[in-house]
Amino acid sequence: MEEKVLKRGQEELRKQVLETRLCTGCGACIDLCPYYRSYRGKTAVLFPCVIDEGRCFAYCPKIEVDLDELSGRLFGKPYDGNPLGSYQSITAAQAGDRLKDIAPQAGGTVSALMYFALKKGYIDGAALTDRKGLIPVPRFVTDAEDVLACSTSKYTAAPTLSAVNQAVKDGYKNIGLVGTPCQVLATALMRSNPLKADDFVDPFGLVVGLFCTWAIDFRLFEPFLAERIEISRIRKIDIPPPPSEILEVFGDNGTKLEISLDEIRAIVPNGCSYCIDMTSEFSDLSVGVMEGRPDMNTLIVRTDRGRKIVEEAEKEGYLTLSTMPEENLEHLIWAAGNKKKRGLAKAQDEGMVNTSDDETKAYLRMSVEVLGRLTA
Amino acid sequence: MSYLIDTKEGASYLVMGNEAIVRGALEAGVNVASGYPGTPSSEIIESLSTVAKERNLYVEWSVNEKVALEVAAAASFAQLRALCVMKQNGVNVASDFLLHLVGSGTRGGFVLVTCDDPGALSSVNEGESRYFARLMEIPLLEPGTFQEAKEMTKWAFELSEELRQIVVVRSVTRMSHASGNITYGKLSDVKRTAEFKFNGFVLDQDEGIVISAPVAWKHQQQQEKVKKAREIFEESPFNTYEGPKKPELLLITSSACYLYSKEAINVLGVEDRVGLLKLGTTWPLPPKLMIKHLSQADKVMVVEEVLPFLEENVKILAAERAGEIGIKTFYGKNDGTIPMTGELNPDLVIAALSTVLGIAYTPVPAEYDQTAQSSVASGAPAREQVFCPGCPHRASFFSIHNALEMDGREGFVCGDIGCYTMAIGSTGFHSLKTLHSMGSGTGVASGFGKLGQFGMNQPILAVCGDSTFYHAVIPALINAVHNKSDITLIVLDNSGTAMTGFQPHPGLDHNVLGEEVPSVDIARICEAIGARVEIRDPFDLEGTRETLNELIEDASGVKVLIMRKACALSPQRKNKKDYDVHVDETICVGEECGCGRLCTRIFGCPGLIWNEAQHKAEIDEVICVGCGVCADICPQGAIKREEVA
Repeated sequence: MEEKVLKRGQEELRKQVLETRLCTGCGACIDLCPYYRSYRGKTAVLFPCVIDEGRCFAYCPKIEVDLDELSGRLFGKPYDGNPLGSYQSITAAQAGDRLKDIAPQAGGTVSALMYFALKKGYIDGAALTDRKGLIPVPRFVTDAEDVLACSTSKYTAAPTLSAVNQAVKDGYKNIGLVGTPCQVLATALMRSNPLKADDFVDPFGLVVGLFCTWAIDFRLFEPFLAERIEISRIRKIDIPPPPSEILEVFGDNGTKLEISLDEIRAIVPNGCSYCIDMTSEFSDLSVGVMEGRPDMNTLIVRTDRGRKIVEEAEKEGYLTLSTMPEENLEHLIWAAGNKKKRGLAKAQDEGMVNTSDDETKAYLRMSVEVLGRLTA
Repeated sequence: MSYLIDTKEGASYLVMGNEAIVRGALEAGVNVASGYPGTPSSEIIESLSTVAKERNLYVEWSVNEKVALEVAAAASFAQLRALCVMKQNGVNVASDFLLHLVGSGTRGGFVLVTCDDPGALSSVNEGESRYFARLMEIPLLEPGTFQEAKEMTKWAFELSEELRQIVVVRSVTRMSHASGNITYGKLSDVKRTAEFKFNGFVLDQDEGIVISAPVAWKHQQQQEKVKKAREIFEESPFNTYEGPKKPELLLITSSACYLYSKEAINVLGVEDRVGLLKLGTTWPLPPKLMIKHLSQADKVMVVEEVLPFLEENVKILAAERAGEIGIKTFYGKNDGTIPMTGELNPDLVIAALSTVLGIAYTPVPAEYDQTAQSSVASGAPAREQVFCPGCPHRASFFSIHNALEMDGREGFVCGDIGCYTMAIGSTGFHSLKTLHSMGSGTGVASGFGKLGQFGMNQPILAVCGDSTFYHAVIPALINAVHNKSDITLIVLDNSGTAMTGFQPHPGLDHNVLGEEVPSVDIARICEAIGARVEIRDPFDLEGTRETLNELIEDASGVKVLIMRKACALSPQRKNKKDYDVHVDETICVGEECGCGRLCTRIFGCPGLIWNEAQHKAEIDEVICVGCGVCADICPQGAIKREEVA
């Protein structure tokens, strides 16, 4: 009997991620080869590729993600379905005194961490997300000062991981990344040597994950905003921490437009509704806003190398840490657990979890016990 | 001196059919010749231009066929001899003027040469121009040999003057582009002076005004001319008969099919059974001649290309005169004996003839045929039509394709006529989704661009070449602007009418006679019409793609992107390398993840070759023209280019 080749290439990705609109435009498949391009928030396949096993498939966080394997590689234990993922500690954090004057959006913890990591050589470059007009664009910086230019929140998906792929090609060995949970999941795939290369080295020096409930589809967001404000006049967009439930758009003449999040939820990418990860569970460090405290962040330390950088940064005054209030932690666990249950239920309903059929690939794989517990 | 104007009478030359037509026109003393390039007709105007100086001719490539016919008509109105040349579908373009011209009549000898393309060897249609003769009620001549092509053209001028009507000479690809020996006659030494007379009696054909009204009267005059032509044709030496007095089968044919038929009769050895009536004057048919031959046979077969034009006309005559000639059995296209589409050849005529005559005929043993077929299929590499090495169109369509894929809204391109028509296939990344006549891409796009109110939100693009732009795009572009259609027109400006052999067009600063002339700027025309205009060098792939995406997203109306780069075969670029290009095989990853043979599998420039043994790309230095574009598409930077000093 002829042996069936299990193809894990462009065609499978196109059919099962792009055409099913699971793609969030994270950029993991971009700049590896000439066949994928990201344009205005959307991933395009330019030409068919005939390679059976491609990195595009291997790095994609929306297909064949084996959570046990990833958790084993990063944290040395199987995936247990904890709402916040695997972690060592959770604290409140904000940019330290040394960065007070240039403190960016919210607590500034992310900028502080990347600034510090670059300055001290923990990483040799950082893949961040900048903005060109309304369009978020990847930017690879090697100078700590450039970190601050990318510091504002973007609410639409950006192909930031393409900057990682380019940096790897350019020979960077300790890459830093700030990314959303889907992007961080892709980094975990990249770090796990999915194609079993002999000369594999983990290219990342520090992965900082952001908290994310969903992103906004750029291609829908632009006309959505255009109906409400002249696009060229927009200076800043912000979603204040819960329970405000609004998106604020600041114009150049001091105007402020408030849009209900219910309206925004209608233009969230389809792929976000299957996501089970609110806190970037496969990062070194995860950071989010802290409810009721716009000047503070929640900081989750997950790995040893993440912990080391946080400790050093605090010691040198780049980061200020304090105890996380108990009620905030409880609420975070509740919110993250809800997202996990909601996304998983949807994915399982649609036959996308632990699928055995060769023809249709699974989106996620996890142990039957954990799956049972999360969907009970 | 060109052999086309050798003054020695009786000299024999091996010439192309198109050159035989040229010699005929020169022997007739043609003064003015105009046309629009189109295969298989283009060599006629080109050849005439080479002898224009010596023979004091005015020769021009006109902007399109209608204008060409108008330009030539003016010469006829001024009592000169005029020739107008085009391919079959050009007659459609010229037909509106033609309809009015046949009403007004002509003065100096005026001949329209149309070169049809049965089988569409170099066309996207196999239109029949012969029907125009019947539709417009004007005489039609079809040469069956090369000598006839010359003689008929010469005579057509005389006939035209006798009738005061335009005469059509219809050639086909196998007549125009094949070669044969012809014997020269005398070159005309008549000197004509141009003068347009209009002060005579209003209805005077020679000195009145030249108009098609009063229509009923002029139409009746026109039909008198047809009657006269019919009488003249009765005695025409271009209609010949070979065969027995009372043949079993009368084979009626014309044009290149005459030679196929002759060969078929010879191969089957049925000279004593079949009579071959070759008609040179195919409309109007000379009835007496036809009746004479039809009376002699019960079975009649008509062999012609492409549609049953002759067959129908013979049948009408046979029905009208059935009392005299009796009932005939007809074989031809209508009953399926001869294919109704495509080119004919001796084999097809042999097959038809052997069926009708009940002869068992197999050209080669079945086994041999099978072996031949299978060895051709297995041995010959698949060859698609591709853009030349260094062709700007490959780069242009690479950017167009990528821009549309990145845009991701199912945008598409309405195609047009030129080398870039090949972009319906893989060489242009399957970019074109509609394709019709010259200028139609923009017209069709103009329509698509108005379908937004019915829910269409796909970006609409059109392409055209520079020559096509002047020919028929301008009205469509005006239409799109005026009607606020949201489209992006891409003008692939390669500085000449590349597909038909680099004839000059209004965008260039020289004409077919080599004279300096004002060039008409495409960008300024588009701006004046009211379109947003951008100009890019298509070899700047990323810049072109970015501009195109921006234009596609600009929903403000009509946008024009001029992709300007001379054709790789143009005088400016031919034999000039910008770069020496080579592949660094230590960097090339070939089939591996990260490339997957983009250059040889997708981009497909013939200058790039895949070394199966080494699993690396290579440059074919014999073919590479050094444009350097492949260095920009290589994802690994393995293709290196160095500027040629």
